[in-house]
Amino acid sequence: MTISAERESEVAYPDPTPPHAGGIQGWTSRPGWLSQHLGTAIVGAVAGYLIGHWLGNVIASGYNYVANSGVNAIANTGGLLLGALGWLIGIGALNYPLAKMVGMEPAPEQETTSWTRYFRYTADHKVVGLQYVIGVLLFLFTGGLLAMAIRTELLSPTSHVFGPGTYISIVSEHGTMMMMMATSAVVGPLGNWLVPIMIGARRTAFPRIEAFSFWIFSAGYLVILTALPYGGFPTGWTGYAPLQTQASGGMMSYLVGFALIGSGMMAAGFNLAVTIVNYRAPGMTWSRVPIFVWSILATCALLTLATPTLVAAGLFGILDHTAQTAFYVNEHGGSSYLWENLFWFFGHPEVYIMALPGFGIVGEILPVFTRKPLFAYKVAAAGMVGVALLSFFVWQHHLFQSGINPDMRPLFMLTTELISIPTGFIFLVGMGTLYKAKIRFEVPMLFALALFFNFLIGGVTGVFLSDVPVNVTVHGGFFVLSHFHYTIMGGLIFALFGGLYFWLPKMTGKTMNKKLGQIHFWMMFIFFNLTFFPMFIIGLLGQPRRVFEYQQNLQALNDFSSVSAFILGSSFLVFIANFAWSIFIKPTPAPPNPWNSLGLEWQTASPVPYYNFERIPVVLTDPYRYGEEGAPPVADLGEELVGAGAGPRAGTSTGETSATSAE
Amino acid sequence: MTDTAPTPSAHQPAGPPSAEPRHFWRMFAIWIVLSAILDPLFYFLVGPHVPPGTMTSSAAENQLDFNILFVIALPVILAVWVYLGYSIIMWRASRKDAPEPVGGEAARTNLRVQTAWITVTSVIVLFLAGFGTYELIQNYGAGGGQGPNPIWKPTASHILPVQVIGQQWKFTYRYPTYGGFETQQLILPADTTIAFHVTSLDVIHSFWAYQLSIKADANPQVDNVAYTTTRQLGRFTVRCSELCGLWHGAMYNFGQVVPKAQFDSWARQTELTTAANTRLLPPFAWTYVPDANGAGGGYYNNTVDPYSPSEVYGARQPAS
Amino acid sequence: MTDTTTTPAYSETPEEREFELRASIGSYWTGGRLFIGMFTFLLASEAFAYFYLRSSNSGQLWRPRNVTAPTGIGWSIYAVVLVSSVLVIYGQWRMRRGSVIDWEVAGWTAVLGGLVALGLQIWQLTQLPFYPGSSGYASCFIGWAVMNIMMLFGATFWIETVLARSLRLRKVAADDGPVQLGGSPQAQIFRANVSACTYFWGFVAVASTLFWVMFYLI
Ligand code: HEM
Ligand SMILES: [Cu+2]
Ligand SMILES: [Cu+2]
Repeated sequence: MTISAERESEVAYPDPTPPHAGGIQGWTSRPGWLSQHLGTAIVGAVAGYLIGHWLGNVIASGYNYVANSGVNAIANTGGLLLGALGWLIGIGALNYPLAKMVGMEPAPEQETTSWTRYFRYTADHKVVGLQYVIGVLLFLFTGGLLAMAIRTELLSPTSHVFGPGTYISIVSEHGTMMMMMATSAVVGPLGNWLVPIMIGARRTAFPRIEAFSFWIFSAGYLVILTALPYGGFPTGWTGYAPLQTQASGGMMSYLVGFALIGSGMMAAGFNLAVTIVNYRAPGMTWSRVPIFVWSILATCALLTLATPTLVAAGLFGILDHTAQTAFYVNEHGGSSYLWENLFWFFGHPEVYIMALPGFGIVGEILPVFTRKPLFAYKVAAAGMVGVALLSFFVWQHHLFQSGINPDMRPLFMLTTELISIPTGFIFLVGMGTLYKAKIRFEVPMLFALALFFNFLIGGVTGVFLSDVPVNVTVHGGFFVLSHFHYTIMGGLIFALFGGLYFWLPKMTGKTMNKKLGQIHFWMMFIFFNLTFFPMFIIGLLGQPRRVFEYQQNLQALNDFSSVSAFILGSSFLVFIANFAWSIFIKPTPAPPNPWNSLGLEWQTASPVPYYNFERIPVVLTDPYRYGEEGAPPVADLGEELVGAGAGPRAGTSTGETSATSAE
Repeated sequence: MTDTAPTPSAHQPAGPPSAEPRHFWRMFAIWIVLSAILDPLFYFLVGPHVPPGTMTSSAAENQLDFNILFVIALPVILAVWVYLGYSIIMWRASRKDAPEPVGGEAARTNLRVQTAWITVTSVIVLFLAGFGTYELIQNYGAGGGQGPNPIWKPTASHILPVQVIGQQWKFTYRYPTYGGFETQQLILPADTTIAFHVTSLDVIHSFWAYQLSIKADANPQVDNVAYTTTRQLGRFTVRCSELCGLWHGAMYNFGQVVPKAQFDSWARQTELTTAANTRLLPPFAWTYVPDANGAGGGYYNNTVDPYSPSEVYGARQPAS
Repeated sequence: MTDTTTTPAYSETPEEREFELRASIGSYWTGGRLFIGMFTFLLASEAFAYFYLRSSNSGQLWRPRNVTAPTGIGWSIYAVVLVSSVLVIYGQWRMRRGSVIDWEVAGWTAVLGGLVALGLQIWQLTQLPFYPGSSGYASCFIGWAVMNIMMLFGATFWIETVLARSLRLRKVAADDGPVQLGGSPQAQIFRANVSACTYFWGFVAVASTLFWVMFYLI
């Protein structure tokens, strides 16, 4: 209330300094290799880990899981938490919070084009975006290697490559890594890089929180990797208690890792949500916001509001292991159902965290390659918000056979069926946009079209799963496995690659090789389907998930799936080769707008300047006015207005901002 | 790298409107023919073989459910595929007669199309939710776990209770109406309504009797009940379908549905031969709580109040 | 990647500065509320655990013999937190009426209060009459204590940084009246921050009340 009052007051500007730098002494990081970077982060992490581990052992007074192993839950947790803290201190994440305690302002960051900025804690959302690109791909490919191991084990129903302990660790590690990666797969790289530019902003609202999200995300990656040397964990990504309580070693990496990744998700979602609400350029009304931004906004709502539940659930698990509480211990007044409820209360919104950004990407790609406006834009935006809301009310469809609230099953069956209505809007949008279009089959478009093919199968099988009688047969089996790979990999990951092929030219200024891109696409598309479609049948024929022994008669299908999976895996090598070749080894400069898009992100200079836009643009229309004669440009970029405070910009500026954020 | 991308302003109609083919009716025709052929093909040829078969009442109902869902889903999938295929062929930029796209209001929204879309999808999913609920209730939980206090109970006069105890890493079965003996063999009588009482001694397992179409999570200290009525004789597979640790992958065995008389004699005989064993077991109960100290090796009913530091934490821990 | 193209340096027109300022203030507003929303879901998970375990009462071990965490310390924590929140809110009210020094005194007292509450909360954990794993209540209590430490730490850190900023602001050329109440961009952003922080303290008071009722009264 105070603020709106302040807004209306006329403000004079006595001093010409930008709001963030003047007057108060600023805190700056030193340039050069003396300052903080990835190297100091690693040193900090190692030091923190050692101190934490030692401290944990002191607290636990030398109690060991296994005699003389020097390992116990408290030492593990202490090591991992202080390790993460050391990582953050080492990279410099805590500098500003500490400087803040003595009242300092952040000084404007030094603009630099040195490659070393990619190894630092930086307030530039474009650098953070590219850091995320590498981070997410690393995460994805590590998880992918584990998947190859799983499919190798499943080549034979009875003879084994791995022991059961190793196998269950691999399966759990694969699932957990992939789910962690998928939470940030699009929001991290493309969300951070694109959203501010798409809405015509020169910065994000909380750039240091954004950088924090990346560095804690990467700490989560390292922590979940430590599960393997600790002996793995046996619970899969769902971490059900009491198995969780029973497990030791790597279980702490799972719990701490999810808590860290969760903090990163909240931070990323928080920053982007606030940015979208407040930093939309003048004229960027809610009905002109690109559909990708809508999808990220809906995702951010889920990231910020659903993830705290995961962090709380993880905290309880950590306490069960370290402080010996009994949250999930039935015999001591706890309940293993508590974990299932908390986990899935987060888990289902999480599922849409992994779907909506993909929809947003194809929504951006389609108009460009059909030369048509996005069909049913408002329905699409409303659908995304609807999905985000509804996704908080369906979680018990994961627990239909668990014995929890069995009489609520009709209700959750209904809400789950209902959520497929707004989910299905993406098909309305896609099909409407394709109508009488002029389709160019560039690589990004291929990936976008593939999403429709894959997600159709994923979504329809979701409806099968939500039917409780059918769920009796398919729950806990390969059918579910296939369902969510069709939605997450077939949806989100296909969209991610489409988005990368689409936007990397802008993000890096380099052109990706088209031939290699096409090879990558066709390999990935064909063998993705050949890998996962048989799994529906395998599931119907009775193979449960996460097993290493199965019926003899399922070997043919499993082998078919395994071999396809190996080729699917190698399709990523084509991508890596393309990425390395086109961007690092033999870079070809990309034209500023290679796809001839009308989007605002393509209109600014290339390479994008540190402050994104020379002048804050005034948005004149939505970015989808293809095939329309006399349509205005998407925005007035105002270069010619340097120095002159006149023109169409003068009136719009204040009027628009107060309209959007007055309360 | 950019091939001839049409500029937004270069818009001209491809020809007189009458020459424009009636795309919608063409797609509709392809779709209706495909659906009319494939749906019956699936329903009559594949349908009867769809898992989990017809061995029990719940299996038959669940098979029917799957088939109905499939018959509805197939046209939906075909509609999208036909549309996608048609657009990819007809409206590719490289085709000479591909129309020049038209922007503007008409290409952005179409109230009729949108309303029709929302109506059709809503009707389908609401019907499915209603149908699923109906099947769930009239089918007494459809063979799924209904928790300790089932509200949809079968009306048969004689119901055979069988307790399923999940434990790392096997299932054992107790027959309370036969003195509560415990066995690793799951033998069931034909044409009988059976109440599975599924519980666990340690972590969460899931009892999945595949051909019987029974699936119920085995939770420690929870009595999760699932009903079905056996119809055909034969062997069936039991697998654990919830990750329960190291040997989860090898946690399976086989059961058998036998004629009533044969079951009865088997049960009576087993009751006798295992009597000595049964006496050593904890008395039959719907759930079992491991002893607080875990050292005694027995499982006791949860009747004592174990609260007090020395009772809970066991003053006499085994020396380690 | 070596981008050598020279792009014009960052510059701002007066409208742009105005826009950035509005956006910045709005971000504090939105961010403050969203932060409260996030904490609400975190604490709601704890409350869910509390009521879930309470109603399932597995093994009659929800709360045997009606064990309670040390009441004296618990009530003291609650009282200190409540007083601090009231001070923060009152301080902001005074500041809006022109008395920055009142706000500063109230704020520093709240910092002290926050630290005392944190200390008490940690001390209470060493004085429990029950083992963490002895009952559902005991477990939930530990969970709440940890979350309370997080919440109090966050609130105290936040108000401390705003107070420190206020001290620095004072050194900036003060012409007429307190700078903090002036129209300079820094002062406006500062006030938005104070407002968001005050809301959070209000939220802390509400949350503390709810959990105080849950753990000590019912
Ligand atoms: C049409 C919309 C959808 C419906 C109706 C639906 C329905 C369901 C149902 C009922 C289950 C529980 C299956 C079981 O365990 O018995 C499930 C599992 C799952 N779904 Fe979906 N789903 C939909 C879309 C999605 C999307 C968009 C994603 C992700 C991008 C997704 C990811 C998952 C995952 C990861 C699981 C399994 C989690 C696990 O058990 O590990 N689903 N879905
Ligand atoms: Cu779900
Ligand atoms: Cu199992």
